[in-house]
Amino acid sequence: MQQLKYQLKNIRRDKLCLLTFLLPIIVGIAINLLPAINFQTISELSFGCIKNDLPEEDAAWLLQNGNLTEFETKDKLEDAVNDPATQMIGVLRSESGICTVLSGDELELYRTIGKTLPQLYENSGKETVFLKTVVPITADYDGLKFLLIVITLITAMFMGCTFNSMNIIGEKEDGIAFVNQILPMNTQTYILQKLALGFLGGIISTSVTAFLCIKINFKQIIPFFLLIVLAVYIASLIGLFIGYASSGMMMGITYIKMIMIVFLAFPVLIYLMIPAGSTIYLLSYLLPSSAAFYGLMDLLSGQAESLWINLMILAGHTVIWNFVFLYLSKYRTKKVHQI
Amino acid sequence: MEGFLQLLRKDMKMILSGRFFLLAFLSLVLYSCYINFVYVKIEQENYHVYLYDPQNSFSGESEYLTEVNDRKEMEEACADRTSIGIDTSADIPEIYMLSSGIETTDHYRAIWAEAVLNGIKEEEAEIIGMYNKEEKSRREITAEFLFFELSAVGFLGLASVLFKEKQMGVIRVHGILPVSKFAFIFSKICVFLLSDLLFTVLLTLINVGVFDSFILLPGILVQAGVLSLIMTLTGFLCAVWLSDFKQFSLFYLVFAVFATTPVFLVGQMGVSWDFIIYHPMYHLFTAMKSAYFNKTSVSFPYYFTCIGAIGILFYMVWRALIREVAKEG
Repeated sequence: MQQLKYQLKNIRRDKLCLLTFLLPIIVGIAINLLPAINFQTISELSFGCIKNDLPEEDAAWLLQNGNLTEFETKDKLEDAVNDPATQMIGVLRSESGICTVLSGDELELYRTIGKTLPQLYENSGKETVFLKTVVPITADYDGLKFLLIVITLITAMFMGCTFNSMNIIGEKEDGIAFVNQILPMNTQTYILQKLALGFLGGIISTSVTAFLCIKINFKQIIPFFLLIVLAVYIASLIGLFIGYASSGMMMGITYIKMIMIVFLAFPVLIYLMIPAGSTIYLLSYLLPSSAAFYGLMDLLSGQAESLWINLMILAGHTVIWNFVFLYLSKYRTKKVHQI
Repeated sequence: MEGFLQLLRKDMKMILSGRFFLLAFLSLVLYSCYINFVYVKIEQENYHVYLYDPQNSFSGESEYLTEVNDRKEMEEACADRTSIGIDTSADIPEIYMLSSGIETTDHYRAIWAEAVLNGIKEEEAEIIGMYNKEEKSRREITAEFLFFELSAVGFLGLASVLFKEKQMGVIRVHGILPVSKFAFIFSKICVFLLSDLLFTVLLTLINVGVFDSFILLPGILVQAGVLSLIMTLTGFLCAVWLSDFKQFSLFYLVFAVFATTPVFLVGQMGVSWDFIIYHPMYHLFTAMKSAYFNKTSVSFPYYFTCIGAIGILFYMVWRALIREVAKEG
């Protein structure tokens, strides 16, 4: 405890460092303030048409199926359809109803929608004989907002990693690492102390951000907290890995950058683009952040069952990484003694 | 002039000794592997329809349709919130699905399932674009990675070199050397600009393809140069202001996540946020992306603003350096 106090004293003066832990919280507040309507449009189907071209009932039908943007001229419509950032489908009036314009670079789903939309429109006049059962989502679901919240939470968790690695590299550069070797303190204590700071900081930062952004029901508090603890622990451990592996600040920050891309961008892209259960999706569980990410998304969308699976995977990761770390630190100690 | 060349040589040596090029190379490998093995293969599949039809009332065939043996299997298949189930066991057939959270998408999924059962077929649509999905994916993600890397490496690389020099007391020595501050700043910028441009060429050649790259590279290099200069100068300024590299790196991490994420969300996902036009990085990103798609949407005011920004940043760096030298005595 006494030693932890020394560590805290060490960072107390580093205002920017404290600020770093505060930043996810500030972003969390900002996300909460953003209007929800902006987030809806992204996952909707998006259609574009030319002003005064489509009859009113056609536009109304399109609006039932997605959002519709009107453009002044055909050129502007074509520009929007061609814009690589969107999957917009252009809709024009034809003799028999509607016809579609595609840019040719769409994902399979949107390509098929574009090519079948005129037929669907023709069918719309016929009366349906089907009974429709739509199982609603239990929590108030707002896909992109949740995604932003989860990205912020994962970043907050990652702060523990950054903090730990920077702390160790800083000590290495200042020569304190050498002093530590002759201090009456064993490696285990040292590791625990170094781990503890990033770990506690990460947990506090993530918990406060989560408290601000998410409405969690009472039953989910325990699995949620477990998820945070495990994820932050792994992040802190990885921070130690980076700290030991890098010779200087530059090296360290590059490792952090790469790991951040792999840990943050991969799960987000895979979550957005690849259906759950496919091979790539399952392979992504090799990254500890994926389990944390999917777990948080499940929690937000109210799917409690898969949350526990994600928690188990995360726990598995914790055990494995712990072993790897202990093995490596033993190996390193041996090497130092040999010298 | 000779003094400048010597400075240039010294900066190059420092970068080499800091394993800067090795790290840039590792980033190049990481990005290229990701683009070629993961990103280009990403696809969003059609909405699958699962049919539970115990009375065999459905006789047609469709590539979007899969028959299942019982109701439970159908419900499980629909758990991904994209697939749709059709149950014809009762008198009135039932469309079953889990809501995707968006009413319009759910409506579309329902009429799609019905149409699939009625044997819908793909028709030809008018294609107006110049690229197919793979070409588009390659260009898009290469532009994004380049944007991220240039913002990051110019920013970081320069700071790491400058902090090392600060530590070694080089800035203090410069106060009495007959080398102008201008040359001091300029040599660093030159080195990083050259390495950024080299990175741009390699990343584009590997991921967009050799033939297309030759057509696109002139435009891309202009944008890469502008971005590199702005970020290097910003890095320079931060490195002079902040006291050590640890502080700087934490600041950088925050910058990397929170300053570039909104830009990516708008640029990549097509989120419509009107206020994004006030985000300076957004314009740099758009210009970079346009260059990859061979579009000339970038206008004169943009270049004017960029040159202005570079000029102001350069002046600020120059002032900050003079103050720093004075402080160091």
